Amino acid sequence: MLTKFETKSARVKGLSFHPKRPWVLASLHNGVIQLWDYRMCTLIDKFDEHDGPVRGIDFHKQQPLFVSGGDDYKIKVGLLTMKIVKIYNNENEWSALISYVSYFFLLCSVLTGHNHYVMCAQFHPSEDLVVSGSLDQTVRVWDISGLRKKNLSPGAVETEVRGISGVDLFGASDAVVKHVLEGHDRGVNWAAFHPTMPLIVSGADDRQVKIWRMNESKAWELDTCRGHYNNVSCAIFHPRQELILSNSEDKSIRVWDMSKRTGVQTFRRDHDRFWVLGAHPNLNLFAAGHDSGMIVFKLERERPAYAVHGNMLYYVKDRFLRQLDFNSSKDTAVMQLRSGSKFPVFSMSYNPAENAVLLCTRATNLENSTYDLYSIPKESDSQNPDAPEGKRSSGLTAVWVARNRFAVLDRMHSLLIKNLKNEIVKKVQVPSCEEIFYAGTGSLLLRDADGVTLFDVQQKRSLATVKISKVKYVVWSADTSHVALLAKHAIMICNRKLESLCNIHENIRVKSGAWDESGVFIYTTSNHIKYALTSGDHGIIRTLDLPIYVTRVRGNSVYCLDRECRPRVLTIDPTEYRFKLALVNRKYDEVLHMVRNAKLVGQSIIAYLQKKGYPEVALHFVKDEKTRFSLALECGNIEVALEAAKALDERSCWERLGEAALLQGHHQVVEMCYQRTKNFDKLTFLYLITGNLAKLRKMMKIAEIRKDMSGHYQAALYLGDVSERVRILKNCGQKSLAYLTAATHGLDEEAEALKETFDPEKETVPEVDPNAQLLQPPPPINPLDTNWPLLTVSKGFFEGAIAAKGKAGQMAADLDMDTSGGEGWGDDAELQLDEDGFVDAPEGLGEEGLGKEEGGGWDVEEDLDLPPELDVPVGAGGGTEDGFFVPPTKGTSPTQMWCNNSQLPVDHILAGSFETAMRLLHDQVGVVDFGPYKSLFMQTLSRGRTSYLGLPSLPCLRGHPQRNWKDCGAKQGLPAVGLRLSDLISRLQQCYQLTTAGRFEDAVERFRVILLSVPLLVVDNKQEIAEVSNKYLTGLYTERKKLPKDTLEQQKRLCEMAAYFTHCNLQPVHMVLVLRTALNLFFKLRNFKTAAGFARRLLELGPKPDVAQQTRKILAACEKNLTDAHQLNYDPHNPFDLCAASYVPLYRGRPVEKCPLSGACYCPPYKGQICRVTQATEIGKDVIGLRVSPLQFR
Amino acid sequence: FEPEIPTPPMITGQGDVDELFDVKNAYYIGSYQQCINEAQKVKPSSPEKEIERDMFLYRAYIAQRKYAVVLDDIKANSPPELQAVKMFAEYLSSESKRDVIVADLDKKMAKSVDAANTTFLLMAASIYHHEMNTDAALRALHQGESLECMAMTIQVLLSLDRVDLARKELKKMQEQDEDATLTQLATAWVNIAVGGEKLQDAYYIFQEMSDKYSSTLLLLNGQAACYMAQNKWEEAEGVLQEALDKDSSHPETLINLIVLTQHLGKAPEVTSRYLSQLKDAHRAHPFLKDYLAKENEFDRLAMQYAPTATA
Repeated sequence: MLTKFETKSARVKGLSFHPKRPWVLASLHNGVIQLWDYRMCTLIDKFDEHDGPVRGIDFHKQQPLFVSGGDDYKIKVGLLTMKIVKIYNNENEWSALISYVSYFFLLCSVLTGHNHYVMCAQFHPSEDLVVSGSLDQTVRVWDISGLRKKNLSPGAVETEVRGISGVDLFGASDAVVKHVLEGHDRGVNWAAFHPTMPLIVSGADDRQVKIWRMNESKAWELDTCRGHYNNVSCAIFHPRQELILSNSEDKSIRVWDMSKRTGVQTFRRDHDRFWVLGAHPNLNLFAAGHDSGMIVFKLERERPAYAVHGNMLYYVKDRFLRQLDFNSSKDTAVMQLRSGSKFPVFSMSYNPAENAVLLCTRATNLENSTYDLYSIPKESDSQNPDAPEGKRSSGLTAVWVARNRFAVLDRMHSLLIKNLKNEIVKKVQVPSCEEIFYAGTGSLLLRDADGVTLFDVQQKRSLATVKISKVKYVVWSADTSHVALLAKHAIMICNRKLESLCNIHENIRVKSGAWDESGVFIYTTSNHIKYALTSGDHGIIRTLDLPIYVTRVRGNSVYCLDRECRPRVLTIDPTEYRFKLALVNRKYDEVLHMVRNAKLVGQSIIAYLQKKGYPEVALHFVKDEKTRFSLALECGNIEVALEAAKALDERSCWERLGEAALLQGHHQVVEMCYQRTKNFDKLTFLYLITGNLAKLRKMMKIAEIRKDMSGHYQAALYLGDVSERVRILKNCGQKSLAYLTAATHGLDEEAEALKETFDPEKETVPEVDPNAQLLQPPPPINPLDTNWPLLTVSKGFFEGAIAAKGKAGQMAADLDMDTSGGEGWGDDAELQLDEDGFVDAPEGLGEEGLGKEEGGGWDVEEDLDLPPELDVPVGAGGGTEDGFFVPPTKGTSPTQMWCNNSQLPVDHILAGSFETAMRLLHDQVGVVDFGPYKSLFMQTLSRGRTSYLGLPSLPCLRGHPQRNWKDCGAKQGLPAVGLRLSDLISRLQQCYQLTTAGRFEDAVERFRVILLSVPLLVVDNKQEIAEVSNKYLTGLYTERKKLPKDTLEQQKRLCEMAAYFTHCNLQPVHMVLVLRTALNLFFKLRNFKTAAGFARRLLELGPKPDVAQQTRKILAACEKNLTDAHQLNYDPHNPFDLCAASYVPLYRGRPVEKCPLSGACYCPPYKGQICRVTQATEIGKDVIGLRVSPLQFR
Repeated sequence: FEPEIPTPPMITGQGDVDELFDVKNAYYIGSYQQCINEAQKVKPSSPEKEIERDMFLYRAYIAQRKYAVVLDDIKANSPPELQAVKMFAEYLSSESKRDVIVADLDKKMAKSVDAANTTFLLMAASIYHHEMNTDAALRALHQGESLECMAMTIQVLLSLDRVDLARKELKKMQEQDEDATLTQLATAWVNIAVGGEKLQDAYYIFQEMSDKYSSTLLLLNGQAACYMAQNKWEEAEGVLQEALDKDSSHPETLINLIVLTQHLGKAPEVTSRYLSQLKDAHRAHPFLKDYLAKENEFDRLAMQYAPTATA
């Protein structure tokens, strides 16, 4: 039993859950009715309308109403006040109200028949029945259909309140006793219907709970539940499970199994007698009222056990382990769990390497907890999954710590490490610990009363500890760099070393959480989805109606399980936390993108940015000039501040800007500010220190005009203008000062003139200090025009980004143009590839290749006789008898096996057995010159061995990738080939492109390598490739023979060559080029007839319009005169092959010699020579033929 | 099945913890700098532990090819364990002195050797293994009983393609301490050699270690070898790329990339680029020695063939 909420009050006598909202009404013995929110744990409202105990209380199912009945013989209807619900102004208000009231009248008054007090009466949820319990020791069932018929008003729609509009409520004949249930020996306190079955449960002062069954004609006692040792005050059926709940004055609540009639659970209180029970109509919640308050509780945890790995969610539902693929949303049952525990699975730990799970089950008595180790069946029928035998042991928690190890916290709270066979491998002494959690390979998190410890299981030592009380769940990020520790009301995020990064307190229960892919922790409370950044920022993403358990977060989707264990996907708006994350990570480009594109709410974000020290970012949100101004000042952006100040034009702004600008040495802005605020003193001083004498003089003039003597004098002093000073002093009547000034500075004339004016009798001429010196401000060397030099601070990203905005747009446009050009080019190339008939070929062949894999078995049968000396000498060496050490002999390396198992040249090259490889190539395709093969051999060899490091500073170990690694065993290995037909074909495509581009030499070279690689393939036979390459090579050789065109003979030869070339097996695109060349040459040679032939062939290929048009013109010209001027060795109608050495046509039927590899044809005299195409094979050699598949050796 | 040793009441809170665990562990998984850092941090509780610590410290320097540090630091009066380490450093640092060192070592080995000086045995075996004298290496290792001796024995046996014997030796290791880092690593080597389903197990071992400690070139190349042995070329590419990012001229990574690029069907130029890099940086690597030998062999063999007629 899990207590969700408790209240303290006077004795609770009545309870009612609201069907939708998290509210519960409690009516008290002292006449007060309380409305509680059990989720927020707050008292919403209080109604004090009754005198004396209130025994009955009920929410209206649809309206914001409740009804109460008390010992004061009053029934009151309460309206939930405005502060809780929306204004109640339904038009049916009154009728509903009336009918509702009448419903309660009925309950209290109509039932006549009991001989003592009626303690309780309930409607049947669907039939016209009422059940009542009385102190006369009986339970009675009443038929009220008469009442219903009589009072059913035509307009009544409120079926839930039974449509009774109270008119004649006291008619005795309306409710007829249907059954009288006798069996209790004392007064009956409570009776209730089963929601769906014809059952009644009752509780009485005889301390018994009785179950009754009824049908149309009779009712009888089914069974009795004994156990309470004082009066049973209330008994109800569980709305959804086969359970009965009862409570009693013996201070206990008991849960009974309905079918077995045995006690399942008992919940005791120390001092309070229980009086009433209430069940939530939809949720698994109950409430019980006792002497000093109420508790809201549920019978069992509703949290599903689940585990996430990669894209898979594993969870337990209805005794099945299910697997949900997040990508495809495919949800399948993978296995059935062994039954036998009455408790649901508490937690799960999944091991992806072994595809095994640990399912922990908690018993009420923790010491009886067990766990099951299951290996998940590899294949299972989702409709009827296997029920594999698991291994069960006792233990509180079991968690994987490695691929083949798991840790078990046993009931003595010590730690056992077990292997996959569920055998104890070792015992580890751990610090006191009450729960363990997963913490990556080889580590565990141990929870004790006030903290969590990271513990290394292998080293048996604690690595780190963090203080946090009562952690319930632990959620690791995907890369295990961060962990979220969830307690009931707190979340702590730590790094791998368990250093606390942030600490969040929640008023509502924390339920679950998951890390999203950007490292933000998304968690749920009972009613919110929230986020937390590792930096500590957190906030609400959205509200929830019911608790959910987050399993995974990806993008906008929150995957979760609800309380019915159904997988759900909720959508969230991640903008806010993404924004904050980008800020924290200083990913300003993202921030900027979001600022520009996302609709981020204004004030709160600005305040956030300011608070977090990102005024420069906030600057970009703000349109309001005033805020903009202060933000700009905050981040020292004088330009922006100046703009804003200009717009605002307020004195205070200019003053603040002036100060800020002065600090930055932006004296031009300072000047402007002083001018705007008419701060002449400061302005004057500014001019002095910047050496701007002209303006300083101007200031002096202004001061004079303003009659600001002091300012005027000051300016004169700054300027070192003595005569001006004398004049000012004189004008303002400071005669002696004026005299002294003049005298001191040697303005004798002035001094004399002043002296004259003194009245010798009244005034004394002041003494001139002989030591007085001329005080002059030093003259500026250069007036300061520019601002003070500033440190070159790289511009903030945002300033830069904003400034660059215009430019970037332009660049992008340029780029677009470029790329579109490129695409145009690419389109052509694409076209060419599409036309290529060979592209389709590899697919078909690939399948054949696959078929071949199966044929691998043939190798086994073929089984070559192994030379006996190659067999591993059994028992030789390695023996260590009597300490005498005999070093072992060398074993058989996989490469030796390869040679033994295969006759394909490539396998021998990979094995490093060049000698046999050459022999095979020689015999199979007649290679006699291995020069061109050298690089191929070396390359092939180099891909036969991988290397990995053993102990440091030792020569590395060698791995041998094998193509049949899955089932080759120790002796049947064949090397992974690494040369695929598809690769060759794609390389062939490159050659075509080179040809198109006219880079013939490159193309020829590459064609040859491809051709030579063909015997190194392992597929089914693939002669076509060889043929394709062959034709091209011959053709390209022709092209390369650039003969001089001087003589007619040579011209004729050139034409012939061009004509031959048109008969090579070429790609259409190339054929067009070739035909055009030939056409032009023949036309020039005035061989119109042949030219016309070329022209027609060209047109058949459908060349581009301009080419086609030109060709048609030439064709028309040719057709006027269908003759050939010269006799050439070319007959287009007679099929021929081209001799690859002499480039003469070999018409069909003439003797011909072929190259065994390329299939190129030669005139007989060339037999025995090196093939011109491959440059490796011998023309006309008698060979076995190409062998590229083990099938060929069958 | 490890016998249960009753743990004494925790006074230090450490129980039977190996105080040098971090140092050794870092060394074995190839995290040499971390090993050096840890060694400089740790405060050994006894002189023996101090020597042991120094041994790993200097060996980590050797693994980083910083031979001079070792040669300068270890003086003539240093303990015999460290002298052995110095000998190995000398051997690796100069090719010219190798013959002298080996001859000297042969003499030492001919006399009775102090079997308790495991370090000496290990260093001797390392030198012999470099010399391809596997008999002598195994003979030396046979005298030691430490986990590392067994691990090295396994490595030598694997180089001899004696998987059967390697498995036997591994079993001994597992009996001694199945969960030790070295045992785990040795299990992975043997699993790679055995092939088939064991490859995935080997992969998990490397994966677990890099999860638990840190990913190193040693672990990454191990993972890559497993992937490639399973023909999982794309997966191997990711792992090797990570290794390449850590050190762009690590020889084993380059060798594996030479294998991988071909299997991925990359252009031959890509492969030859890695080969050139390898030739540039590690001319003396056994792979290249083999490679050159094979080139010569090719040339020699090719001369046996000629066309019947010449043009």
